[in-house]
Amino acid sequence: MNDVPKGVAAQAPALSVPLSRRSRGEEDRALVQQAQSGNEFAFEELVKRHQQRVFALVGGILRRREDLEDVAQQVFLKAFVSLKRFDQRAAFSTWLYKITVNECWDYLRKRKVRPLVYESDMSEEQVSRLDGLASQERPPEGPNDRAEARDLLERMLEKLPEQDRQLLLLKEVEGFSVQELAEILDLNVNTVKVRLFRARGRIMETYRKRLSSSGHAAKFPGAGKGRASDEG
Amino acid sequence: MKAEFHGEACPEYEAKLEDYLGGELSGADARELGEHLKSCGACAAALENAAASVRLLRFAEATPGPGPAFARVVMARIRSEQEALREPRGFWQPFVSLAWRFAATAALALALMITYDVKRRDAAPTVASVRQSEVRDLFTSEADRVPNSRDEVLIMVAEQDHGQH
Repeated sequence: MNDVPKGVAAQAPALSVPLSRRSRGEEDRALVQQAQSGNEFAFEELVKRHQQRVFALVGGILRRREDLEDVAQQVFLKAFVSLKRFDQRAAFSTWLYKITVNECWDYLRKRKVRPLVYESDMSEEQVSRLDGLASQERPPEGPNDRAEARDLLERMLEKLPEQDRQLLLLKEVEGFSVQELAEILDLNVNTVKVRLFRARGRIMETYRKRLSSSGHAAKFPGAGKGRASDEG
Repeated sequence: MKAEFHGEACPEYEAKLEDYLGGELSGADARELGEHLKSCGACAAALENAAASVRLLRFAEATPGPGPAFARVVMARIRSEQEALREPRGFWQPFVSLAWRFAATAALALALMITYDVKRRDAAPTVASVRQSEVRDLFTSEADRVPNSRDEVLIMVAEQDHGQH
């Protein structure tokens, strides 16, 4: 399948490689070679192919919509500047996503901000409401219910260690595979699996603690299972 | 409240449980985990817990994608930064920067010389310098002396008059 939009292909007469016959990785490889020899259309094509995933990665790490585009632009700018030194031993996507992760960490360090901070804790009513929404078989359909559930979940995620939150969001929400996460974060695949599994346990533990402190029994299936060892 | 559950999974099964949750476990591994789950309540509870986290996380919203103009904006930014780098330097630019370097070096040298001079003046007089001044006084004639004030002028005139009479 040809992934190159027709408009771009028309604008880029210098893209001499028959992209339709190649896999996505091979197409990237060919585009990188052309971009390295100064073809700006080839680099623009690479931006178009990877912008969605770069946005997802930045969003999964920062959870700040207001700076999303700036950080993503900075990522592609750095990629363009360093492209000549990229030797293609790794896939272009892996290389680009590593730049993205580093850019996000730089951003957090420079701004001295945490990815997302909610000042106030959840009220008892909010905890009960979240449990009600979570116990439904299907996600809430009304826009208000969806927005409320999203807001409550963000508050719950805020209680997790940063690494747990990023892994869970990147895997479950942004759609990165365990293999991709291992490559991007320079971790062993098994390590990512173990960390993910433990992060799942921790978010449910947070959830359960909120419920028990507000005096509610969980309606949500599975929410009552797990460690409660530190509750006296 | 007393702890009711001990859902911490066996460490050697955590990675397999994550695979199982994602539907990526098959064959012998899946059968082995199935057997383990029958006998290990902690792993079974942890798995149920992890499955609940998937349901909870469905409320989170994926990051929205970029606008249609994003790639063009990136390329425009790249081009503008490249142009800024390529901008030719003026003819006089090397001379101006050289002049600035000379000026900075000269200012530094001047500051060092002034500091040295001030320190030298502040230093206490040595024995040699005191003796030299005394020797000079011995050979200085009265006529060589220059009055410092009006009073000294009057005294010198009076002394001269006194000598003549």
